[in-house]
Amino acid sequence: MGLAKYVVRRIIYMIPLVIGISIVSFFVMYAAGDPIQIATMGNPSITEAQRQFLRNYYGLNDPIPVQYLRWLDHFIHGDFGMSLYGGKPVNQIIGSLFWETSKLQLFSIILAFIIAIPAGVYSAVKQRSVTDYSVTSVSIFGISMPVFWFGIVLILIFSYHLGLLPSAGAHGAPSLWPVFGIRDPFLDELAHLILPATVLIFAGLAWHVRLLRAGMLEVLRQDYIMAARASGISERKILYKYALKNAITPLITLLGLEIGLMIGGAPVTEFVFSWPGLGRAYVTAVSKLDFPLIMGITMIITIMVLIANLITDLAYAWIDPKVRLE
Amino acid sequence: MNILEVEKLKTYFFTEAGVVKALDDISFSIPKGSTLGLVGESGSGKTVTAQSVLRIVPKPGKIVGGSIFFEGEDLLPKKEGEMRKFRGKKISLIFQDPTSSLNPLFTIGEQLGDIVVQHMKLKKSEAKEWVIKTLKLAKLPDPENAIHSYPHQFSGGMKQRICIARALLLSPKLLFADEPTTNLDVTIQAQIIALLKDLQRDLGMTLVMITHDMGIVADMCKWVVVLYAGNVMEIGPIDKIFEEPHPYTEALLKAIPRLDQTKELVFIPGNIPNLIDPPSGCKFHPRCQYAKEICKEKIPSLEDIGDGHFVSCHRWKELNNRG
Repeated sequence: MGLAKYVVRRIIYMIPLVIGISIVSFFVMYAAGDPIQIATMGNPSITEAQRQFLRNYYGLNDPIPVQYLRWLDHFIHGDFGMSLYGGKPVNQIIGSLFWETSKLQLFSIILAFIIAIPAGVYSAVKQRSVTDYSVTSVSIFGISMPVFWFGIVLILIFSYHLGLLPSAGAHGAPSLWPVFGIRDPFLDELAHLILPATVLIFAGLAWHVRLLRAGMLEVLRQDYIMAARASGISERKILYKYALKNAITPLITLLGLEIGLMIGGAPVTEFVFSWPGLGRAYVTAVSKLDFPLIMGITMIITIMVLIANLITDLAYAWIDPKVRLE
Repeated sequence: MNILEVEKLKTYFFTEAGVVKALDDISFSIPKGSTLGLVGESGSGKTVTAQSVLRIVPKPGKIVGGSIFFEGEDLLPKKEGEMRKFRGKKISLIFQDPTSSLNPLFTIGEQLGDIVVQHMKLKKSEAKEWVIKTLKLAKLPDPENAIHSYPHQFSGGMKQRICIARALLLSPKLLFADEPTTNLDVTIQAQIIALLKDLQRDLGMTLVMITHDMGIVADMCKWVVVLYAGNVMEIGPIDKIFEEPHPYTEALLKAIPRLDQTKELVFIPGNIPNLIDPPSGCKFHPRCQYAKEICKEKIPSLEDIGDGHFVSCHRWKELNNRG
């Protein structure tokens, strides 16, 4: 089957999935409570009539299926509606936060992947050596530390005591640049990335390294590796070409999951570093029952997961000639 | 003139259960241009011998002593980088299972081409021509298309032809074939044996057939080395081995099923011994029908009994009315 035809078919299959998930999310959300009640809780002078006016304004008094169909109609036209707070369109809110979250997450995921490859290969080759145990210890340390605690420790050391790196946000005001000896916007963004990315990389690295190490240990026992060695192929080529391609599939699976879930994946890190991202916005939206924003971010996550799944399947077929796309 | 001389070779596996003496002080030599049979039961050390010569013994195995002279040069002190120039170029190995010895994720052309590039520093296009030429030599049909195919697209027999071509890419002087027919259908076995015989004759290689099939040995080999539990039991020209065999070889020969056989199959009672804690004296004595007190107490030495025949047995002379 042609690749293009396969991809088109998979995308068509996504449509009922997306609709199904939107229905479930929509109805679960309505079971959670009355957003107008929550929004006006802090205001004792508001009257019930005013609340009714707000409910009518946002269409919350219509039967739920009617509300859903209205939402669906807007969604198909690419419109997620207005946030209940601040009166901004959800599209606009998501648009600016999406980029910041993707930047932080992709940077961390890709860097973790790049670090994991030599670390995993090396600890498999030098199994039970000091290096192997050190790599394992560092990665287990990373996975066991609570993200908020590690983040705060990094801020204490690198921002508060050493004054080397900014502790909050994705950008600094140009007037603050000289504080960290920075002169251009790119370096400023990079400086803001370092601490939150470090937290995310440490949290994810253990999975990558352990998966690759296990895969490599299995592959290095295979006859075809000994056959390559018996043919005089250099050790570097055996490890990084012949063995790695056989051992990397679980890592591709993990990578696909991480990229799919990255949008809502790191709210804690985003909170600790006041990162203007979707994870933080998502949690805030849920706590306030900001329906349009919750639905918007849920749909973005759904679509990302489905696309990442498709890309993972394509990657499998590209790696293993025995995998057929059908 | 010997192409390979193995002297007092010891290869041990340092496992958690203890030290497995897979090769315990073995010596033999291979005359240039001959076909030699390396014979023994599973676990006798045949494969480890080939791996030791190429110095690719898998962990936790290690060569702990002895020397391996290839064309007069000792291979054991060589650095890893130097040793790599021997592997696949001067000494090659064909594996038992063609399916598991080909990498499933790379095309035939890629896997074989890399070997040519590694040793010859050729361009990819030149390497491709070289690979096609060698696949033709191994009588693989349609090699021009085969190089773009993956291993799973071939049958077992075809895969073994590809593996033979891989071993022959750089016209090695010494070729180990480790039970190359064990995993194949009987009809294909005969074809592969015929191919190996032709190639050995046409290319003037020295061929070591690792096998437990005495039929193949009788068919192909001029010389035989019989291994048992990491020891050499017997070395000799094929006719001497069949005429006046070591008691272990005799038991192996009796175990060959025959078409006119009416009685039950003959087998050697017992199992190959535990190599962590091997029997005292001659390692074969617990299973030997001729064993006496001395066999339990003293390790026999490999004795020259003339005509290039060497036997490691306390009782051989007595049993064969010599001396």
